[in-house]
Amino acid sequence: MSKKAKILLVDNDVDIVDLNKAVLENNDYEVVTAFSGSEGLEKIKTEQPDLIVLDLMMEKHDSGFTFAKKLKADPVFKKIPVLMLTSVADVTGFGFSQQKDGYWMKTDNYLKKPVAPDQLLAEINKLLEQANEENE
Amino acid sequence: MNEQTYILVIDDERGIREGCRRILEAENYSVETAENGKQGLDLIQSKPFDLILVDLMMPVMGGLEMMEKVMTDFPELIMIVITGYATIETAVDAMKHGAYDYIPKPFAPDQLLTVINRGLEKHRLQQQAKQLMEERDRRLLEVANEKSRIHTIVNSMGDAVLVINRDQQLVLWNPAAVKMLNITKKLKPGQDLTQIIFQPDLIQIINKAVDPKAAHYTSISEEIELSKPEAQTLMANVSVVRDENSEMLGVVCILRNITQLKKIDRVKSQFVSMVAHELRAPLSAIENYITTYLTGAAGDDPEFNRNMLERSRKRAHSLLNLVEDLLQISRMESQHVSRKKQLLDVSEIINNTVELLKTQAKDENIGFKIDVPKPCPTIEADRGEMEQLFTNFISNAIKYNVKNGNVSIIFESTENFLIMKISDTGIGISEEDLPHIFDDFFRISREETRYVTGTGLGLSIVKKIVESNLGRINVESELNKGTTFTITFPIKMN
Repeated sequence: MSKKAKILLVDNDVDIVDLNKAVLENNDYEVVTAFSGSEGLEKIKTEQPDLIVLDLMMEKHDSGFTFAKKLKADPVFKKIPVLMLTSVADVTGFGFSQQKDGYWMKTDNYLKKPVAPDQLLAEINKLLEQANEENE
Repeated sequence: MNEQTYILVIDDERGIREGCRRILEAENYSVETAENGKQGLDLIQSKPFDLILVDLMMPVMGGLEMMEKVMTDFPELIMIVITGYATIETAVDAMKHGAYDYIPKPFAPDQLLTVINRGLEKHRLQQQAKQLMEERDRRLLEVANEKSRIHTIVNSMGDAVLVINRDQQLVLWNPAAVKMLNITKKLKPGQDLTQIIFQPDLIQIINKAVDPKAAHYTSISEEIELSKPEAQTLMANVSVVRDENSEMLGVVCILRNITQLKKIDRVKSQFVSMVAHELRAPLSAIENYITTYLTGAAGDDPEFNRNMLERSRKRAHSLLNLVEDLLQISRMESQHVSRKKQLLDVSEIINNTVELLKTQAKDENIGFKIDVPKPCPTIEADRGEMEQLFTNFISNAIKYNVKNGNVSIIFESTENFLIMKISDTGIGISEEDLPHIFDDFFRISREETRYVTGTGLGLSIVKKIVESNLGRINVESELNKGTTFTITFPIKMN
């Protein structure tokens, strides 16, 4: 890859943001961060990331969904792949998966927290490659 | 018969009177006599008789005239005519005037007794018939009472009752059913169920219960959701009624409105979801830190790696606090708290708490100002709860403060109330966040609070403590200026 891919991390948990930032930077990604949905939407405009890693429950329980909905409704930004991370367990009745919920909430993939560093990296690589193929 | 039988003999001939008396008294009857109709009538009105013997031809008042009067006033009295003119005409005439039988003069004792016995038998049968009628009336009244009792019970039930026969026609219902199912039609027994009830879910359960081809149900219980006229959840219990040959006769359908229970249930499961989320978040962070540390995924900077462990320790610690707070809330909600209320001088608790928390304030160089009157008015509260209350408030005042900020604790008192103000010069609370600060798990999400750890339960616990100790809590705040919590408790002196 000629240019470093830029990843936007959106999560209200500072530990998750700092940690994933370190992991991604260690693997040669450029990282920008946001700690709420609204801050994330601002950062998309100013930073124009190649991929977004998004937390589901932030300042509100559905902040992640609201964020993704707005993003996918935007004609320019809807092409940016989104990886949704959620700590909401199935047992609580709020289970989300790409298979089950992708039809109404278009994000590109869901992963359940905690996500191991290699899993996160593999998923990000996969989504970026897909996006590249589509763009060619 | 052990009951005495009373007979009255009315005749102007003394011989007949005394003759009859002798014959009848020999048979153990009680006998009275009268010389004419007038005298006889007076006696009949003064005491009860079972039977009278009446001569037709008497001075003052004749037999026929007297009998007419007796018949209207004492229709049950058996009257037997004694007559010297024993012709068919006189007999018929006497019968018309209410006589039961007649006996021609002269008569032999046996003749008299036969006629009298027949008359008394008639009297006995009449009495028996009357008793049976009374009995029947009483039974009918009992049945009617029983019916009205069952009606009263069914009609005063809060649950809806519908009784439906096997042809799916309405048999019985109560007002709760009319209200719950919003039935506007006037109900009559025998109406088709589908003409009255427009709740497909309910009809379906009843159909299932009465379907002869279906499984042999004794009862079906299902929740049904109604959308009209308002959303409500009903628990429907449909019991199948069978006769002794286990032939289905119909169903009894009981509906209970469980909308409120469902609401409470939803709140509870929402709380559980939130707890699960709040527990997972720090655990995820801790696991991520450790995995990243062990795999070296974040590079090999020893400073950064050490820092990761330091921060996972911090998250583990906050997780412990969270579990503590959750246990506290659960104890308070189960109302099994053994609250030891006593008269307390809270100024002493304030001083101790500030002393304990001062080390936390040292890094940011936060100063304390305590203005508490001496002697301080006492309040009645649980000591442990008050310690926790002030710990939560003062540690918040430290955590959400700024470098070189201040925390002030000022007590004021009115005649009846102790007013405690705990103020900080910290980051403040926005107008948008202010209404939510006492909510479970609510945490202010701002750049300034990013590294502040907390459970989101502190103020929710504080509010419960204040309220269960009859106090009140108020908050004022200005963004980037600071926050003041005012807690008011009733003063209680010894």
